[in-house]
Amino acid sequence: MLSYNSLRIVCPFRALLHPNWLMTNRQSVNKTVTCSAHCVSPSFPKKNTWQRQNNLKPTGNERKLQYLTYAASSPRNYCTGQFKLNCWNCKQPLDQTPAFFCLTCKAVQPPEEDTSLFIIMDCDYKFSLDTHKLQKRYLHLQRSLHPDNFSQKSVEEQEYSESYSALVNKAYHTLLKPLSRGLYMLELKGMVIEEGTDSGADPEFLMELMEINEALDEVKTPEEANKIGQHTKGKLAVLTEEIDAALLKGELPSAKALLAQMKYFANIEEKVKEKLSEFM
Amino acid sequence: MAGTVAKTCLSPLALLTRRLSAPEFITQCCYHKKVVDHYENPRNVGTLDKNSKNVGTGLVGAPACGDVMKLQIEVDDHGKIVDARFKTFGCGSAIASSSLATEWVKGKSVDEALTIKNTDIAKELCLPPVKLHCSMLAEDAIKAALADYRRKQQDDQQEAVRASV
Repeated sequence: MLSYNSLRIVCPFRALLHPNWLMTNRQSVNKTVTCSAHCVSPSFPKKNTWQRQNNLKPTGNERKLQYLTYAASSPRNYCTGQFKLNCWNCKQPLDQTPAFFCLTCKAVQPPEEDTSLFIIMDCDYKFSLDTHKLQKRYLHLQRSLHPDNFSQKSVEEQEYSESYSALVNKAYHTLLKPLSRGLYMLELKGMVIEEGTDSGADPEFLMELMEINEALDEVKTPEEANKIGQHTKGKLAVLTEEIDAALLKGELPSAKALLAQMKYFANIEEKVKEKLSEFM
Repeated sequence: MAGTVAKTCLSPLALLTRRLSAPEFITQCCYHKKVVDHYENPRNVGTLDKNSKNVGTGLVGAPACGDVMKLQIEVDDHGKIVDARFKTFGCGSAIASSSLATEWVKGKSVDEALTIKNTDIAKELCLPPVKLHCSMLAEDAIKAALADYRRKQQDDQQEAVRASV
């Protein structure tokens, strides 16, 4: 897959042709190395040309050529947010955000970096998300974006459909569950739950968690496991409401603490499921 | 009981060993054997009487991964840790870290136990970078248990002073 190839060569000629490349912040571009001019054709080679061009070694004693990543995707990947994006195929402007397909030539587009998952899934940016709408959107998008639809299309379109389809999967699964949704919303505001011990944790709360875990460990019947499962579900429902309220008010530290509590109970819920499957 | 505590970590451990198949991990010492040993044969799983004045209880949680760890120590009249127990609900690395921690604190004085560092635990178990926070949790659990014991001793001494007045 050329997008993830480890061959990139940028030469002075190309810098002149595509000044945008110099402006990008993409890490992959920062890693490029200029090669000596004679080993690269001055015309802008298409992606396929690069693939076929095996003999890229310089002649003579020049062995300085470094093979690094070549992102042969369209110039649109190097545009900053202020630039209007164009279709990689027909060069027409893409007037939508997010743009899944070009309105002119119908080619599938690569996903834009850093687009909010809420925007991709066309959901309101709030914690109390409509999961039915989310699921409908997910199925609708995958019907058109799934790579199976592109098996007869060009390599570019196959790659872009793979990337977009994977991103839509990620967006769906992140936004589906309250815990991952809440954590993502915090992440958008620059807040993460740090790894390591929570020194501010309430000892009584930790004790309660211990007791629930120990009880779950000792259950002998599915009914006992279910009872703990119901209790946990109740806790999760209450936490969901509290997190929604906190996020609506913009009380991020409270939301963070509540999401941490939710994580513990989500783990217990997982263990209840495992326990119940053991009984089967 | 030990088996059920250990079983909680099976799937994360499978993930761990899959990560380990990447070439960069092959050169590491046989960490997964040690972790596996601790979770298949955990040492000192159990509970001590938390109301006893000789018992310090440390209860810690890691919110990012949802792990909970309890570590208890029993200290004799000479300030030496004679027994230790743990209960951990979390991944294999967390269980192994706390199991190892209880092994190490036994026989140490309260002051010596304070010197146990998470880096020593991680090194002994050859934990990968992504699991270093588990060893940190174990170190924090030891410190919490020692702090609880110290607090109880101080409360005891204050009571004795008040009684003698």
